[in-house]
Amino acid sequence: MSKKIGDVILDLQNISLRFGGVKALTDISFNVKEHEIRAIIGPNGAGKSSMLNVINGVYHPQEGKIFWHGNERKKMEPHMAAQQNIARTFQNIALFKGMTVLDNIMTGRITKMKANFVEHALWFGRARKEELEHRQKVEEVIDFLEIQHIRKTPVGRLPYGLQKRVELARALAAEPSMLLLDEPMAGMNVEEKQDMCRFILDVNDQFGTTIVLIEHDMGVVMDISDRVVVLDYGKKIGDGVPDEVKNNEDVIKAYLGAGH
Amino acid sequence: MNFFFEVLIGGLLSGVMYALVALGFVLIYKASGVFNFAQGAMVYLAALSVVGVMEWGAPLWLAVILAFTIMTLFGIATEKFVLRKLVNQPPIALFMATIGLAFFIEGLAPMVFGSEPRALELGIVDEPIPWILDNWNMVISKFDLVAAGVASLLVATLALFFQYTRIGRALRAVADDHQAALSIGIPLQNIWAIVWGVAGFVALVAGMMWGARNGVQFALTFTALKALPVLILGGFTSVPGAIVGGLIIGASEKLAEIYIPPVMQDLFGGNFGGIEGWFPYVLALLFLLVRPEGLFGERHIDRV
Amino acid sequence: MLYREAGQFKTSYAADQQLFPIRQDRIGLIVLLAIAFLGVPLLASEYWFSAILIPFLIFALAALGLNILTGYAGQLSLGSAAFMAVGAYAAYNFQLRVEGIPILVSFICAGLTAAGVGILFGLPSLRIKGFYLAVATLAAQFFIVWCLTKFPWLSNNSSSGVISTQKLMLFGHELNTPVEKYLLVLSIVVFMALGAKNMVRSTTGRAWMAVRDMDVAASVIGIRLMPTKLLAFAVSSFYCGVAGALYAFCYLGSVEPDGFSLEMSFKILFMIIIGGVGSIMGSFLGAAFILLLPIFLDIALPFFAGLVGLPFSSATVSHIQILVFGALIMFFLIVEPHGLARLWQIAKEKLRLWPFPH
Repeated sequence: MSKKIGDVILDLQNISLRFGGVKALTDISFNVKEHEIRAIIGPNGAGKSSMLNVINGVYHPQEGKIFWHGNERKKMEPHMAAQQNIARTFQNIALFKGMTVLDNIMTGRITKMKANFVEHALWFGRARKEELEHRQKVEEVIDFLEIQHIRKTPVGRLPYGLQKRVELARALAAEPSMLLLDEPMAGMNVEEKQDMCRFILDVNDQFGTTIVLIEHDMGVVMDISDRVVVLDYGKKIGDGVPDEVKNNEDVIKAYLGAGH
Repeated sequence: MNFFFEVLIGGLLSGVMYALVALGFVLIYKASGVFNFAQGAMVYLAALSVVGVMEWGAPLWLAVILAFTIMTLFGIATEKFVLRKLVNQPPIALFMATIGLAFFIEGLAPMVFGSEPRALELGIVDEPIPWILDNWNMVISKFDLVAAGVASLLVATLALFFQYTRIGRALRAVADDHQAALSIGIPLQNIWAIVWGVAGFVALVAGMMWGARNGVQFALTFTALKALPVLILGGFTSVPGAIVGGLIIGASEKLAEIYIPPVMQDLFGGNFGGIEGWFPYVLALLFLLVRPEGLFGERHIDRV
Repeated sequence: MLYREAGQFKTSYAADQQLFPIRQDRIGLIVLLAIAFLGVPLLASEYWFSAILIPFLIFALAALGLNILTGYAGQLSLGSAAFMAVGAYAAYNFQLRVEGIPILVSFICAGLTAAGVGILFGLPSLRIKGFYLAVATLAAQFFIVWCLTKFPWLSNNSSSGVISTQKLMLFGHELNTPVEKYLLVLSIVVFMALGAKNMVRSTTGRAWMAVRDMDVAASVIGIRLMPTKLLAFAVSSFYCGVAGALYAFCYLGSVEPDGFSLEMSFKILFMIIIGGVGSIMGSFLGAAFILLLPIFLDIALPFFAGLVGLPFSSATVSHIQILVFGALIMFFLIVEPHGLARLWQIAKEKLRLWPFPH
């Protein structure tokens, strides 16, 4: 399967992040190319989630520069990530528990909806048109992820695996150019993992979405990713294609082989 | 200048009384994560129990003991019939349940003990202390001073209790995470019974102090509302914070009431009195904007 | 069996999006509106209008406002009565000082004024959450009532802030009978309730609920927290403001600042807790419940006391009322936290099978 991997779209240079006295990330540099699947791996506490949070603007690094499509990014607010077409899922599911699956996924399209609240109150007109248009798109995502049967269920009632899928649906509904997935397969059994892998590969294949993925399951990582970054204690200790990283001594010592 | 100090000290002393009520809040919040809106109503219930029992013929010491029993039983009943059933719900639901509890007490207590205002004689007179009056020309009430002393003693005891005893540690564990505490074998039910018992005791002390000073009447329930700004300044989980917060609120409220209206009336005319009603809240609000966790509160970091 | 959605297939998203997708619901609603607009004016007595129906509609509107802020957007507010007060006094002042202004325009302006004040007191919500925000709204409650008492200009220099509302002139005709006032209030409330329902099920409502459920995730998706929260405060205060104007003009006729007390704010909060937080219908159910309960107790308690032979004073009745309110709040929170609205839904579910057992 030949896939065209493009140029660098995200370039992180010398990122350092601290919380009070705790150094979460120290001098990390790596890049992400368009259309690739980039995995970030490392032991727990290595700073992987923090890295994702930096990429989509939830945390602000004290040092370092971020280049998005060649432009240096000034200090970012979280909602700007959505405007820049970056979507993400979270390690501990961040769905809106009070709403149905359909409503949750519809929130993913919020940056594309233009009607204001008065138009919503009056309903007939632009508000209604928009609602139907975007409902159409959302149904396509629902079909893609095979969750039609639960679309009206309140999200809080779904089993864990399905909630993760709904979270992915919400991220996909935004039609992102880059998707950040934080342990999308955590807590899943073998079948669910296979399904999720299939979905991720399909997304990358059909829509060309660039994917940055945190995952602990080595089999999955080695199988589906194009390149891998390895973090340990907030520092980068490996960067390259899966085969290279697999044979990297530092990586083996820290993560794959001997214990700490 | 002496007048300023008189107002200041008067405010500080009344602030100590606010702190007493705030203490009850802090205890319950610290140990169960519940913001007990009914604390003011509990103060009222405690005070009413004392005077009510005395009216039925008992001497003061017996009334106090009976009142304490009533408060403890009440706390246990609340925990058993209300709070335990709400364990799985978000904190806001628990808060609203305590609002319901407050109303429940405010309806029940006067029905049982009668609703006319009554005096509570504790034997300490609300009179200016003679030698201060003579030497500095300031009116400082003996009663207020004694109340301050009692409150300080109570606070010191509680602070030590939480920090150094086994039960105190267990209480702190429970406040942090119910599930985790349960899983290491802390008997949640008993802990909560203890907490509400202690909170009831604090309410009793507060009720007796306030009741002796202002009379035992329905207005006592509003002291709960006044305690809220105290908690905001001092943080919801800090015992010393409740004292400091109380002092600040008490002092600033009195000083504002005396010194601000004349200035504003000169500028804008009209009658500017009655600032006390909202000044503590606005002060607390402004404070929150600068420091959302209060002076001594804990910084809350959400892990995403 | 009567209430069944089997056989009603939706063949388009538009059909699925309808406010009342099930046919029986639509019929029920039409019947209800017919009764409200046509039946009631013909059948009800003056007492019913003035003492029950009009305040019910007004408080349902205020409860709707609070539900938008607290139920949908998750910002706890203990100051709804203060915003009603702003609406009442603003409407009075607009009528007083703007020559020839139509009454409906006054009401709208009153709502907008309340919305402005609401935004002001909603600003702290950007930094503060949960109980702390409740305290901020308490500040609003006390401060606003104090302002209305202390600034004579607002009440046209009346001594304690009391205002007597002007006449209601609609298209040259004066509305002074209870029936006419009832129809005016009913129309306004139905219109605004419809608007609320539309807002709540659209992107506006979803943004509010997202902020309520998990605001960090909401902002990552692209929901701007500040405009969303402030909009909730604005819309909610608008609804409370209009309710307050109606309260002054169509119900009491003359109001004072202390009438919009903390007690009233609690009453409105209880309406949404019992009726159903986060539910439009719940606002109506809760308002009905809270308004009818005292009347019920007034009748039932002396009756029961007579049966048992207990002496009864009016003070006891009011104490029991407070006690029962408190008990009901706790009861609903424990047994059915989603309030009467959920109980209604469950009843409808049962209707699907009735009269068959399963």
